Amino acid sequence: MKTKVFKFILPLLVIVMAVSFAFATNSTSDNQIAHYFDPLFGWQSVVIGDECGPVGENACEFMGKQLYSQPTTESIALRKD
Amino acid sequence: MVSLLFVLLFVYAAVSKLLDFKTFQIQLGQATLLRPVAGWLSWVVVVTELLIASLLCFVKTRLLGLYMSLFLMILFTVYIVIILNSAANTPCSCGGVLQALGWKDHLIFNSFFFLIALIGILIQRKQKYNLN
Repeated sequence: MKTKVFKFILPLLVIVMAVSFAFATNSTSDNQIAHYFDPLFGWQSVVIGDECGPVGENACEFMGKQLYSQPTTESIALRKD
Repeated sequence: MVSLLFVLLFVYAAVSKLLDFKTFQIQLGQATLLRPVAGWLSWVVVVTELLIASLLCFVKTRLLGLYMSLFLMILFTVYIVIILNSAANTPCSCGGVLQALGWKDHLIFNSFFFLIALIGILIQRKQKYNLN
């Protein structure tokens, strides 16, 4: 009986622990979504780190293409130091 | 113990992905190879992780769960090797703190879990054999 309860409770505890960890670490992500225009596929989204922003000396690019804050060339062209 | 470690890993990874699902889908799409299938593949990955975690919770399905864990680890490792050999700067779509690992660290991480799955399978098979 004791073993049966243990076998049922232990996986449940681990699941609760995993879900708690996931919620606890969710806010640690520094990623932001940027956009670039692909002549073949149109506007594409990419996840970038926090190194790109509205100011900086160099263009922020993905595979040689300028990244924008929104899927339009009229939005902010992202830059980095 | 081995199966509980996988339950922790898969539930954590799946819930982390679900919490930031849009980012996960975009990251998957950043791998050129996966771009056309990123939409449905993102769901398949999450559902598979949760399915394997639930299989590992029950004695009767534990061995199957361990085989599936091993298979998933092989798939993830193949994906990492492809990413490492491609020039594109593809981010990891693993979810949670696992995202902070570099691709090479991930290769080591996956190899560890691959070995753990193998050990788990051997223990489970031995236990089953002893019971029969």
